[in-house]
Amino acid sequence: MAADMGGSYGSTLRYKTVDRLKPVGKHSLLGASGEISDFQEILRYLDELILYDNMWDDGNSLGPKEVHNYLTRVMYNRRNKFDPLWNSLVLGGVKKGQKYLGMVSMIGVNFEDNHVATGFGNHLARPILRDEWHENLSFEDGVKLLEKCMRVLLYRDRSAVNKLQIAKITEEGVTISQPYSLKTFWGFSAFENPTVGAEGSW
Amino acid sequence: MKLDTSGLESTAPHFGTSCELFSGFSAAPSFDLPVTTDFDGFQKESIQMVKPAKGTTTLAFIFKEGVIVAADSRASMGGYISSQSVKKIIEINPYMLGTMAGGAADCQFWHRNLGIKCRLHELANKRRISVTGASKLLANILYSYRGMGLSVGTMIAGWDETGPGLYYVDSEGGRLKGTRFSVGSGSPYAYGVLDSGYLISYNTCIRYKYDLSVEEAAELAKRSIYHATFRDGASGGVASVYHVGPNGWKKLSGDDVGELYYQYNPVSTSTVEQEMAESSST
Amino acid sequence: MTKQNANWSPYDNNGGTCVAIAGADYCVIAADTRMSTGYSILTRDYSKICKLADKCVMASSGFQADVKALQKQLAARHLIYQHQHNKQVSCPAMAQLLSNTLYYKRFFPYYSFNVLGGLDNEGKGCVYTYDAVGSYERVGYSSQGSGSTLIMPFLDNQLKSPSPLLLPAQDAVTPLSESEAVDLVKTCFASATERDIYTGDKLEIVVLNKEGLHREYMELRKD
Repeated sequence: MAADMGGSYGSTLRYKTVDRLKPVGKHSLLGASGEISDFQEILRYLDELILYDNMWDDGNSLGPKEVHNYLTRVMYNRRNKFDPLWNSLVLGGVKKGQKYLGMVSMIGVNFEDNHVATGFGNHLARPILRDEWHENLSFEDGVKLLEKCMRVLLYRDRSAVNKLQIAKITEEGVTISQPYSLKTFWGFSAFENPTVGAEGSW
Repeated sequence: MKLDTSGLESTAPHFGTSCELFSGFSAAPSFDLPVTTDFDGFQKESIQMVKPAKGTTTLAFIFKEGVIVAADSRASMGGYISSQSVKKIIEINPYMLGTMAGGAADCQFWHRNLGIKCRLHELANKRRISVTGASKLLANILYSYRGMGLSVGTMIAGWDETGPGLYYVDSEGGRLKGTRFSVGSGSPYAYGVLDSGYLISYNTCIRYKYDLSVEEAAELAKRSIYHATFRDGASGGVASVYHVGPNGWKKLSGDDVGELYYQYNPVSTSTVEQEMAESSST
Repeated sequence: MTKQNANWSPYDNNGGTCVAIAGADYCVIAADTRMSTGYSILTRDYSKICKLADKCVMASSGFQADVKALQKQLAARHLIYQHQHNKQVSCPAMAQLLSNTLYYKRFFPYYSFNVLGGLDNEGKGCVYTYDAVGSYERVGYSSQGSGSTLIMPFLDNQLKSPSPLLLPAQDAVTPLSESEAVDLVKTCFASATERDIYTGDKLEIVVLNKEGLHREYMELRKD
């Protein structure tokens, strides 16, 4: 069985090649929505954290749980300073056979679950995930499920762009796919002339 | 190279940092302030969210035999009664009592703090602190937080070397010496009963005066609280009455005001009911 | 760094309901496991109950990030206490520590509503109930959080104990047996779930008695 993967994401309208999925250390994968500059600041913090951890050279390395906890504290302390990092973060990973998936919000709310999503994903993707997710999802089915979620988001979230990456993290490490587009079909009757029959209050 | 942990730093300044491991944990942490430009607005908002605004009736008066302190026990948040069993009379030490009106946490915390300070005074000077001194300690602390949103209306009552003492202290910095006070939303009703008294027979009225007996004074206090809970929706629960004499305080009574109603208004059977009872028994 | 200071609040309400009941020689602490924000559910399986010491358990609802910070603070303080005194902190001591910890954030409060349950030094059940800035009170039973306004009147009705302020004092301990108390808690939550959108998914019950700590779960409505 393939490990769970984190990260549903979109991309801003202005920049079409923003990497929102980044590996962190050997065992973790980070996905983010929100301010890109703040995300880059978080990546700088994490780079330093991982570097410092490597310097011990003791054969130990930070797992996803530890990284997630670190992020939790960074986000919460910034909100305490009334200067929050404007992101919702998703952190997934595998270490020593233990799968991990958690998220942190802008003000430090954090939790683990079998599936997570940020922003619009909470409203649109998670109901799908709740329906279709199960313990023994294969990697291929996982990708299909994520694509289904992303397609729904693409249809209904105006800030989403049809260009996405999928990442996988296993015991062996992180692989992030090349950006690709989803096949879309805009000919649904619901999309055609949506104002028909909508008389409005005028 | 050292790990940059600035993202993890707490805004709270710590004191007593002799040992690095325990710094900020073993010593009492200082108050954390929000880093906001609009402190007042933030206070107002956050207080709205979390603090039970307390409607209260508390009273205290000095008389011949010492001081009587009495209070109700209700705490409410808006229309919701969050507790019917609040201890509004706080036992600072065996000779001193404080009462609680305003923010529950503010009163509770600062009275606890005052208790510590009084004990330290006792250890340093080998004698108990005077009521005057204790009330001034509290008033000075509250004054230093003036304008920051504390809400305290308290009476410090006790017995010291000069005899009975009674002070009113509030979070605006006020401190008054007096012989009779009532604080809280129900205070007008309590004052009314306290000042005009109640009839025990058609020509004898027990009202506040200096030479009351302990029993008369306790009953007067209980009735004052009872009538305040009767008319003030934000007061209720249990009417507690304490007496502070030369040998320290003693709790005299604690009565559910719901039951006091039937004590003060005995159910008398109407004539019709009486006749029915008689006819059925015969 | 200049930052667009758009509208944001340092607080969020993640909902949740907590209940605790004290008995003669036991204490029942319960909370649901739903975590929400606004109308959406973030997760259906988040434990709000935190074991602070061997005989001391805290259940908290409100803003999750604040609750987590509070739990971490208390855990650290308890660890230091153990190092210094080589024993577990008693429940009444932890109750006052929690009160002080909350009050130290008086001007930037922890948005958390807590009940603390445990066994006191005589082995009797005890429950402490708090407001967000640290006023506390020892009671026989209590409920906090989004469903508290639904549960509290029900508990008053079922086990109204004489007020501890009454004189002559009356025994204020809940007359229920341990299993009756657990059943009562289950009924409370089943009812609150019907009418409170922030309560549901699963109920976590912790029972403390002289045998130690015991956990059980009950499924609740998930809608």
